[in-house]
Amino acid sequence: MKKQNVLVIGAGVAGMEASLLLANTGLKVYLVEKEALIGGQTIKFEEVYPNMECATCMLAPKQQEVLQKENIELFLLSEVEKIEGSAGGFKVKIKKKARYVSLVNCIGCAACYEPCPVSLDNEFEEGLSKKKAIAVACAGALPNVPAIDPENCLHLNGKKKECKACQEACMFDAIDFTEKDEKLDLEVGAILVATGFDLLEVKTLTQFGYGKYSNVYTAMEFERLYSQNGPTEGKLILRDNRALKSIGIIHCVGREEQGYCSGVCCMYSVKFAHFIKHKVPDAKICQFYKDLCIPGKSHQKFYEDVLHKGGNFIHYQDIKVESQNSNLQINYGDGNGKKNIFKADMIILSPAMIPRKETKSLAQTLGISQEKRGFFSTQNEELSPVTTEKKGIFIIGCAEGPKDIPDSIAQAGAAVGKVLSYFR
Amino acid sequence: MNDNIGVYVCECGPNIKDRIEIDKVIEEISSLENVKTAKKFSLLCSNDGKKFLAEEIKKEELTHLVVAACSPREHEQTFMNVCEEAGLNPYLFQLINIREQCAWMISDKEEATSRAIKYIRAGISRVALHKTLQKKEIEINPDVLVIGGGISGLETCLSLAGADRKVYLVEKTESLGGMASKLSQLLPQQGSGLSLIKEKTKLAENNKNIKIFTSSEVNDVRGFLGNFEVTVKFNEKDSEEKEIRVGAIAVATGFGLFDPKESTQYGYGEIDNVLTAMEFEEMMNSGKVSLKNGKPPKSVALIHCVGRKERGYCSKVCCLYSIRFARYLKDKLSDVSVTDFYIDLCLPHKADQEYFEEAKNKGIRFIRSDEETKVKKSGDKIAVEYKTEGKTDNITVDMVVLAPAMIPAEDTSKLAEMLNIPLDVTGFFKEVHAILDPVSTPIEGVYVVGCALGPNNIPESIIQSQAAAGKIFSSLIPGRKIEPEVKVSEIREDFCTGCQTCLSVCFYGAISFDPFKGISVVNEAICRGCGSCVGICPSGAIRSKHFTYPQLYQEVLEALR
Repeated sequence: MKKQNVLVIGAGVAGMEASLLLANTGLKVYLVEKEALIGGQTIKFEEVYPNMECATCMLAPKQQEVLQKENIELFLLSEVEKIEGSAGGFKVKIKKKARYVSLVNCIGCAACYEPCPVSLDNEFEEGLSKKKAIAVACAGALPNVPAIDPENCLHLNGKKKECKACQEACMFDAIDFTEKDEKLDLEVGAILVATGFDLLEVKTLTQFGYGKYSNVYTAMEFERLYSQNGPTEGKLILRDNRALKSIGIIHCVGREEQGYCSGVCCMYSVKFAHFIKHKVPDAKICQFYKDLCIPGKSHQKFYEDVLHKGGNFIHYQDIKVESQNSNLQINYGDGNGKKNIFKADMIILSPAMIPRKETKSLAQTLGISQEKRGFFSTQNEELSPVTTEKKGIFIIGCAEGPKDIPDSIAQAGAAVGKVLSYFR
Repeated sequence: MNDNIGVYVCECGPNIKDRIEIDKVIEEISSLENVKTAKKFSLLCSNDGKKFLAEEIKKEELTHLVVAACSPREHEQTFMNVCEEAGLNPYLFQLINIREQCAWMISDKEEATSRAIKYIRAGISRVALHKTLQKKEIEINPDVLVIGGGISGLETCLSLAGADRKVYLVEKTESLGGMASKLSQLLPQQGSGLSLIKEKTKLAENNKNIKIFTSSEVNDVRGFLGNFEVTVKFNEKDSEEKEIRVGAIAVATGFGLFDPKESTQYGYGEIDNVLTAMEFEEMMNSGKVSLKNGKPPKSVALIHCVGRKERGYCSKVCCLYSIRFARYLKDKLSDVSVTDFYIDLCLPHKADQEYFEEAKNKGIRFIRSDEETKVKKSGDKIAVEYKTEGKTDNITVDMVVLAPAMIPAEDTSKLAEMLNIPLDVTGFFKEVHAILDPVSTPIEGVYVVGCALGPNNIPESIIQSQAAAGKIFSSLIPGRKIEPEVKVSEIREDFCTGCQTCLSVCFYGAISFDPFKGISVVNEAICRGCGSCVGICPSGAIRSKHFTYPQLYQEVLEALR
């Protein structure tokens, strides 16, 4: 086998899986991740269907392996800027932003957070909690080393140069304000794109009242609200603190606008009902769906189990969220077009999975195209699902289109198969 | 006893130092029997710390090492590496977690200190009973056996075969191609199933590193990852057998279809012109869709989810191919009316919905119904009775096409037994981990791909095949040896009564029964040290090499004292 390096862009489940499989063979893997932590979107989930395994526990060993593997070189807070050359000889420019905290010296004791005077919305927690300008995204984030947000750090943005509160609190000499952004040049033989997905901004769909009514949540907000390591430590506390008795879950939010079914929302919405029943057993839960998409051998059983526990499923044709005397209600037309009302304390929206907003610029950088929905396009969607028009560049996971975790993992394996078969 | 146990307490900066009285810990521990030395250090995982430990191991001539620091998940491997470099067997080491389990948990310093002392004492008593364990290396054979010559099997072969890796393809029937070769025009970019299969078959036949056995079956499989021995039986030539040796096995045996006769509501087999999807594919392949009387149908009903109720799952591909049939009918027969009865439209891939919308625009009628749709004879025609949104209705048509559930292939359970891999409740092969490892089985080196795992479409089957190839490339590298787990179970011959209880709990198929000695035997190359057999053995004959009863007993005793 020729000795070749591989670049993997994105350290979510697909990117991590591919990196580990490649690294096992002795190849050098450069894993580039935009965020300060690895694990992607999956680590935001408390439990995953259908077996309700704890996602954090499930992924932690993989994350540790990625961090410890000698021949995986991880670039956090990094993005690909430029790519030249062709398969077998790509020249890659990486921009690595300064973390200001040493991955070697820091032991993750968290002593630096408290003294930091800055308070910011925590994006990882969907803005449901605050964080400091020096912080890790959530408890259990890996690597367990904070990063400083240079735009908001008073020392770094120059608003209060003398503030070195975190540095003074650090006992391990881990904080270095002089660290600079870096540009790195890499040479690789193949590139795997595993940049994942975004969720549709539900604010744009005004009929769902998101942003207008405080107790309308997105699915990702609910995932974090339910999580033990989330903003409420897993307590289902509503934004206005009202008691949670009745919950409406609306599927297919943005499906019509996007023109496709995201394939996973029905299942995670069913999972939410399971979650809610677990914490609020008497809660009344109603799911509003268009078509129940529960494909594959094990999903229907999970759905039936939840149905058994008292979930209610309504097929809707049209739907609108309104508020009457500050009480939320879902106005819907059922299959026959008959109008009905469901009163809810909380409404959860399951939005379409959409391409990452960076897809366009990355596609240009890589010299590959996007399909009509905006995801990266593969050479032949049906017969060669991970290869692109450009030899040596592969697309895996949700960067290629909506899919669940096992399908993302399978694609990672498939791309590894392709790369290793090419390098032999 | 001449043990020289060294105990090192990490201050972990302020993390342990500020919350535990380390000097008191050292004082207590130093006086224990067999403890040669007890010391503290500011940060043992740092480079200075590791260097210090390595020097101590040599200088103090340590026979065992105990480190009291953080969680094993953080640094067990770090310190095992230090042992190895310093010439101490890494299994003569124990890491005690006094950070997460004492310092961070207990606010009272005195309480935390006494707890830390207990835990360290427990670790010392345990480590004294540790035995040297040696890593083993096993030579491997990089070749691969693929069972099943459908689209998945062919893709697996083509992905893997090369100068350094031979692939043997065993196909039960006379020709390659499987179910996909029976499919007519697939989705827009796919061409026909047959042309797809022809192309792949040709590539496989022309590849000198792929050896194809048709009309053959796998008769017996022995061995483990890297070293499987397989007996292949040739059906045509009676009793002729061939032995092959491979390092990995990929099962790609495909699926069967639910027989609509099992469900009387559809009148299949009794009413003329009620067809299954496969029968309709045959018509499409012949280029002529016609009724029994030879005339083209003027009205066709497509019924989804046939057998879903009985099987308990959605087969995930039927919605899309039913839409494909409907579109074909509309394109082929200008005046045909097509009605499609679905329960829920399952269109989970990004391009599916557009394909459906186009069908709607062609004038195909889609009716949302339930599982009770009935097909009855009505004169020369066929009546379809259905319920939609609470109302019962019916239509009369010339032809009905049923979309039956995908079910496990007929030999699935036989093969599962031979390979010692489990099936799930639906009867398909079961993944070792349905989320994180969707193509692997509990038997290392045995993979399952395509519809043998459950309903999948062609792209998914191809992906899984390539994924299994990726896993094999990654784990079975020509010329490289593999290192099996060291902390395995062992069975003491004198104690084993041969009851075979352990066989039933071993998830990895590592235990077999030796009929001559009348005892169970652990294959150390397969065992992963989970300990299930240790717990279940009624005669206490099995022990886990790094978790023996004396080790655990002493550890617990000290921790509770």
